[in-house]
Amino acid sequence: MSAQLKLNNVETYIGQFHILQGISFEVRKGEVTVLLGRNGAGKTTTLRTIMGLNPASKGQVQFNGEDIHSLPTYQIAQKGIGYVPEDQGIFAQLTVEENMKVAMKSDNDQTQARLHYILDLFPDLKTFWKKPGGLLSGGQKQMLSIARAYINENELLLIDEPSKGLAPIVVEKVMESIMEMKENTTIVLVEQNFMMASTIGDRFYIIDDGKTVQSGEMQVLKDDQDMRRKYLGIA
Amino acid sequence: MEVFFNLALNGLATGMLIFLLAAGLTLIFGLMDVLNFAHGGLFAWGAYSGTWIYATTGSFFIGIIGAIITGLILGMITERFIIKPVYGNHVQQILITLGLMLVLSELLKVVWGPNQLSAVAPSFLQGSWEVGNIIIIKYRVFIILVGLLVFLAVQYVLKNTKIGLVVRAGVMNKEMVQALGINIKKVFMLVFMIGAAMAALGGVLLGPYSGVIHAEMGMEFAILAFIVVVIGGMGSFPGSILAAILVGLSGSFMAYYVPDLALAANMLLMVVVLIFRPQGLFGMKG
Amino acid sequence: MIKEKKNLFYGLIAVMLLVLPFVYDSRSMIILLTQVFIFAMFAMSYDLLLGYTGIVSFGHAMFFGIGAYTIGIFMKQFEPTVPYFLLAVLVTVVLTAILSYIVGLLTLRLKSHFYAMLTLAFAGLFLVLAEKWRSLTYGNDGFTFRTPEVFRDRFDFYLICLVAMILVFVLLTRFTNSPLGRVLQAIRENEPRAESLGYSVIQYKIIASVVSGVIAGLAGILYSMSLRFVNTSVFTMDITLDALLMTIIGGVGTLVGAIVGAGIIEFAHHWLTQLAKVHWIFERWIILFGIVYILAVMFFPKGIVGTLQNMKKRKKHTVENKDDKNISG
Repeated sequence: MSAQLKLNNVETYIGQFHILQGISFEVRKGEVTVLLGRNGAGKTTTLRTIMGLNPASKGQVQFNGEDIHSLPTYQIAQKGIGYVPEDQGIFAQLTVEENMKVAMKSDNDQTQARLHYILDLFPDLKTFWKKPGGLLSGGQKQMLSIARAYINENELLLIDEPSKGLAPIVVEKVMESIMEMKENTTIVLVEQNFMMASTIGDRFYIIDDGKTVQSGEMQVLKDDQDMRRKYLGIA
Repeated sequence: MEVFFNLALNGLATGMLIFLLAAGLTLIFGLMDVLNFAHGGLFAWGAYSGTWIYATTGSFFIGIIGAIITGLILGMITERFIIKPVYGNHVQQILITLGLMLVLSELLKVVWGPNQLSAVAPSFLQGSWEVGNIIIIKYRVFIILVGLLVFLAVQYVLKNTKIGLVVRAGVMNKEMVQALGINIKKVFMLVFMIGAAMAALGGVLLGPYSGVIHAEMGMEFAILAFIVVVIGGMGSFPGSILAAILVGLSGSFMAYYVPDLALAANMLLMVVVLIFRPQGLFGMKG
Repeated sequence: MIKEKKNLFYGLIAVMLLVLPFVYDSRSMIILLTQVFIFAMFAMSYDLLLGYTGIVSFGHAMFFGIGAYTIGIFMKQFEPTVPYFLLAVLVTVVLTAILSYIVGLLTLRLKSHFYAMLTLAFAGLFLVLAEKWRSLTYGNDGFTFRTPEVFRDRFDFYLICLVAMILVFVLLTRFTNSPLGRVLQAIRENEPRAESLGYSVIQYKIIASVVSGVIAGLAGILYSMSLRFVNTSVFTMDITLDALLMTIIGGVGTLVGAIVGAGIIEFAHHWLTQLAKVHWIFERWIILFGIVYILAVMFFPKGIVGTLQNMKKRKKHTVENKDDKNISG
C-alpha cells in the first residue's frame, strides 16, 4: 500500500512557541489513521499544519508524493484534502444550504448526486436545510462540518475530535457516518474518545510534546495497557 | 410640513452619500479586518476625477463612469501595494492607510490645483417638482435612487451569488473559507476595489449636490462614515445603510434646529453605541 | 558604559543648544528651533502612546489644542500675568487629564481601530467647538493675545522651551524605564500575555493615555505662546499628522526619535516652503513626507533612530562573534 500523506520531521511555531518539534507519520490510502495524545500535545496543530493554517517551518508534508508544506491553504484544499476543524467552523449566519454551497466546487449533476447521498447520510441536515447554521445543535454542526468537507470528492479527510462535547448516542451516529465514508476516502482522525478511535481506526500514532512517539496497528494499542496509561492517561 | 419634508429628503440624500462611503468601509473591515482610513481620499478622488471628466466631456453619465473606474483602479493599487504588505498587523495598517489618505489628498491638489472645483447638475436633473406645497429637488431624489440601487445590487450579489456567499462566509470565518479551497486574497482585492468604487461614486454624486468640491471633504465625510460604521456595526452591510440614513437625517434636522450641535449629536450617538453596544446596533462582531 | 556614553552625547547636544543663541544670533533660526522643541515635546507624548503602548490615536491634536486655547483665553480674558499663566497650566492639566481618561475608558477595551476612530471624531468635535463658541474663541480667525513679561523675549522663550523639552525627555525616559513603563512595553509586545500575567491592561493603557494627553496639552500651551496667537488650526488633523510623521520617521518607541523627527519635519517644512517660490510643487512638500512615511511604516517600522540602533547592535553582535571564534580557535 502506498502512503497518501507523509509527514517527515515537521516542526511548527505559533508565534514564538515551538509547538511541533518533529512529527513524522504515514497515512496509507483507504485507511483511518488516528492521532492520539494528551491535551496540548500538538494533535490539532498537526492537522492545521497539514492544511497550511499554521505552516511548517521545517520538514516536509507530502501529499501523493508532492511536498505541500509551503503552499497556501486554499491550494492545499484544492489538491483534495477536506478539513473538519475542532470548532467545526460553521458559518453561523449562513443557512445549512449556503454552508454547503460555499464548499461546492461545481453545481453539476455529479455534485448534486453526491449531495443527495450525503443528505441521506445526515437526514438532519435536510430538515434544517434553510435554517442558519448557528441554530444547529452540537451534533448537527458536526455533521454539517463533515458533510461540507466531504461534498467535493476529496481523497483525504482531516477530522479533528468529532466526538467532542457530543452525547454518546450522537457520537455513535457520527461514527457510523465516518465508517461509511471510509469506504472511498482516506481519513486522518484526531480523537480523545478511545472507544471511537479504536473502533474505526486502522492505525495509530501517539503525539507527545509535539513529537510522534509511538505508532502501530490499532490492535497493538488495544492490547497494550501500559502504553495507553503512559501516553493517554487511560487504562 | 414643507420644512419637515425638505429636511427629510435632504437627510436621506446625505445619508445615501454617507452610505456609499460607509458600505465599502464596513465590508472591507468585516472581511479583511482592515479599517481603511484612506477611504475618504478615495471618495475625494472620485469627486475630482468624475467632476473633471464631466466638465471635459459634458456628460454627467461619463463623469460617473469615470469616477467609478478611478475608484476601481485606486482600490486595486491600494490593496495590492499598501494594504497587502501589512495584513494582520492592525497598528501598521491604521498608520499606513492614514499616510495614504495624506498622500491622496495632497496629490489631488497637485493634479487639480489647490482651489475648489464647482459642479452643476446636468440639465435634466436640475430644478424641482412641486407636489402641493412641497418642493422636491430632483437631484436629491436622484441621489437617493442611486443609493438605493447600489444597496439593492450589492445586497443581491451578497445573497444570491457564489462570490457573495464567499464574502459573507469570509466575514465570519476566513480560515474556514480557505480550508474549503477558496483563494480569499482574490476576494479581498475584489471587495476592496468595489468598496473604493462605491466611495468614488459617492464623491462624484456629492459635486452637484453641494455645488463645490474640495480636498478636505474626503476627511469630513470619512468621519461621518466612521460614525456610521460604528453605529451600524462593523462588518454589517444592512447596518451601514440604516445607520447612514439615521446619521443623515439627524444631521439634517439638527442643522436646521440646533445648527451648532449637528456634528455633536452624531458623535454623541456613536459614543453611546460604543459604551452600550460596541458591536453596533445591527452588527455581529465587536 | 554604553548608557553613560549615550547620556554624555545627549548632554553635549543639550549644552550646544543652550549656548547656541549666545553665539549664533539669528532670529529666524531661534524661532525655528523653538518650534522644533515644542513639537518634539508633542511628538514624544505621541510616542508614549504609539511607540511604548501600541495605541494609535488620530486625535492627539485635541489635547494640543486644549492647551493652546486655554492659555490664549486666560491671557486674553484675564491678565497676561504669571499667576494666570500658572492657572492656565493647571486648567490645561486637569482638562486634558479628564478628557484622555474618558476617551481611554470608552475605547481602550475595544480593538485598536475604535480608539483611532473615536479620537479622530473627538478631535473633529473640538474643532467644531472652537469654530462655534465665538464669544470665547473668535471663531475660525482666532485671536492674538499678550503673554506675561517673562516669556516675551525670544531668546528667553527659546531657553524655556528647550528646558521644557529636556525635562519632558528625562521624565518620559524615567517613566518608560520604570516598572510601570516596562508593563506598558510588555502590553505592546504581547497583550494577552500581559493580561494573563495578572496586569490590568486597561488601567495601564489609560495611565499612558493620560500622561500623554497632559504633555500634549502642555506643548499646546507653549505653541500658542510662541505665536501669541491661536486659531482653529490647532485642532486640525494636520497637527496630529505632524506628530505621527515625526514619531514614525524619527523612530517609534525611542523618544529620541520623536525629537529627531520633529527637527527633520520642522526644518524641511521651513526650507521646502521657501522653495515654493522656485516651484509651486514644493508647497506640496507634505506628499514627499507622506510617501517617506508610508515606506517607513512598511520597511523601517522603527524609523531612523530605531534602524540606527539596530545596525549598531548588529555590528556589536558580529564583533562579539569574532571574539568567540578567537577564543575557541
